Amino acid sequence: MKAKCILNGCMATFQAQAEELNGFLDRCSSEENRPDSTILFYTDKEDRDALLAYVPTECVELVRVDYYQPESILAALQHIEDKADTALYLFPPGISGADLAVRWAFRRKGSSLVQVEEVAFEAHWLIAKKKAYADHVLASFRLDRQPFCIAPAKGCVDRLPVKGRDNLQIVEHNLTELKKDGFVRDYQWVPAQQAKDLEAVKLLIVGGRGLGSRQNVHHLKDMAHAMGAEFGVSRPVALNAWAGLHRLIGVSGTLARPEVCIAAGVSGAAAFYAGIEKSKFIIAINTDPQARIVRAADVAVIDDCKAVMEELLKISEPVDSVS
Amino acid sequence: MKILVCFKAAPKVEMLLEEDWVVDKKHKIDTSFVRSELSSYDESALEMALKLSDATQGLGILLRLNALTVDNRSAAPILKTLNALQFETVVRVEPQEDLLFHSTVVAAIISQYIRDHASQDVVMMGRQSDIGENAKTPLLTAEMLGWPCITQATQIEPADEKHLIVTHQVDDGYARVKVRMPIVISVGDAPCSYLRKPTLRDRLNHGKKTIEVLSADAFDLPAETEVFTELSILRHERAGKIIEGESPAEKAKKLYKAYLKPVLSEKKVQF
Repeated sequence: MKAKCILNGCMATFQAQAEELNGFLDRCSSEENRPDSTILFYTDKEDRDALLAYVPTECVELVRVDYYQPESILAALQHIEDKADTALYLFPPGISGADLAVRWAFRRKGSSLVQVEEVAFEAHWLIAKKKAYADHVLASFRLDRQPFCIAPAKGCVDRLPVKGRDNLQIVEHNLTELKKDGFVRDYQWVPAQQAKDLEAVKLLIVGGRGLGSRQNVHHLKDMAHAMGAEFGVSRPVALNAWAGLHRLIGVSGTLARPEVCIAAGVSGAAAFYAGIEKSKFIIAINTDPQARIVRAADVAVIDDCKAVMEELLKISEPVDSVS
Repeated sequence: MKILVCFKAAPKVEMLLEEDWVVDKKHKIDTSFVRSELSSYDESALEMALKLSDATQGLGILLRLNALTVDNRSAAPILKTLNALQFETVVRVEPQEDLLFHSTVVAAIISQYIRDHASQDVVMMGRQSDIGENAKTPLLTAEMLGWPCITQATQIEPADEKHLIVTHQVDDGYARVKVRMPIVISVGDAPCSYLRKPTLRDRLNHGKKTIEVLSADAFDLPAETEVFTELSILRHERAGKIIEGESPAEKAKKLYKAYLKPVLSEKKVQF
């Protein structure tokens, strides 16, 4: 099966996406269906040579575009792949990979699935699995029509560093003059407001709707910082604007993997739990003993989360000094 | 400016108990006994459309809001609410089968409705439904219409009669773009976007307006390219040991001494 990886070098998250895609390849592909070529998009703002270090295949088609916009990338893909008989395209995890996978499959009369957890290849089709029912189940799909366009779910595999190749075969395309996305009149990029790297911290404290008010959320954030912990929130808290979206933990936010996660006033919806499930140890504080988070935690305190956290703060040493 | 907001009602699966998560013979989960609510991203899309309508007042831009769902009768209370919130037309397309994992069919119905029944300048919808989680319908709708698509929108502002300013999430931040219509906009994690409640007066004056119902049979439905085959339940369970105590202070003390401090000290402890 002729397979290709697609990488988006236009994003600051490029390295993470490339390593995650490499991890996905390592877990899901076999000798016969492992991609041997990558199509890598970039702009003149990126360091071309630095990008090449993350190509997971023997060959790469380097495609220079004006700036990232799905319409332009799809037009560039059409230009490059017009006569190709590629049977499988693996797009990177994340927003751009999912957007491109669905639209590219439609244009090539193929089939697509995004947020994919795992794939298995069979004689004439591909079996792919993804979460559904608010992340409570894994749904299997049979993709019949080639090309198969797959975008893995963010965080479904561990990042696997890409081994750089000395003999990488490079074909270059300059498509900066290709059809422009005429519908965009003005473009301004706003970098995401970054909380400290929530993905790898020692202690993460997450506040949920059970906190009840913006004031309580801010209070918990202050307590978290006083304990030397990082602070995140569940989706209802972020959507109520009680905290910034950059603090969102869960499927559509950060997938954290701290040593310890304290979930305070969080119900434990599956989409949220995906954001903390890789924690080594989970502590739930909740007034409801039936809350889903209680069963999904290692230990639980059934009480008012604000009162428990205040008491915990009184006796805790800051994380960095605990020994 | 004509805006169509597409939405779906979804059973509130957080109400299901652990023992309710059973895959039936049709490879589905029985959710018939829990109430349905607006799918969360679609709710944001509806509220963002109303905010856009508020923002155009005084700018001399005439904005007409319409709503469409491809759903069974469980969507009826939501449709009444949208009537009361003064959406101009409110349409329900009655599906002949469960379309949970049929985003190609849903996108075909939406695009054909726009082409054959009621032309629009903007189509808005949530990036995915809470249950199907296909994350494909807005993208496929754009492709079928031949329109551009902006995904993961968090804010929409009016620019003029032919343009909108859309802030949307990208992998490494946000982009703020001025876009020309027609366009499909999929809505992502947008703060402060819970659907407003209509007033009692609006419910009485507008809530009983007719809801147009169309049959999915009236549309040319394509075959799905991804065939759903089966479900398996994901269980997220750990020890769930309850820390007992008379007061928050006592529980906090036990928690810190027995668990938190040892774990943070990276000492090997038996739980």
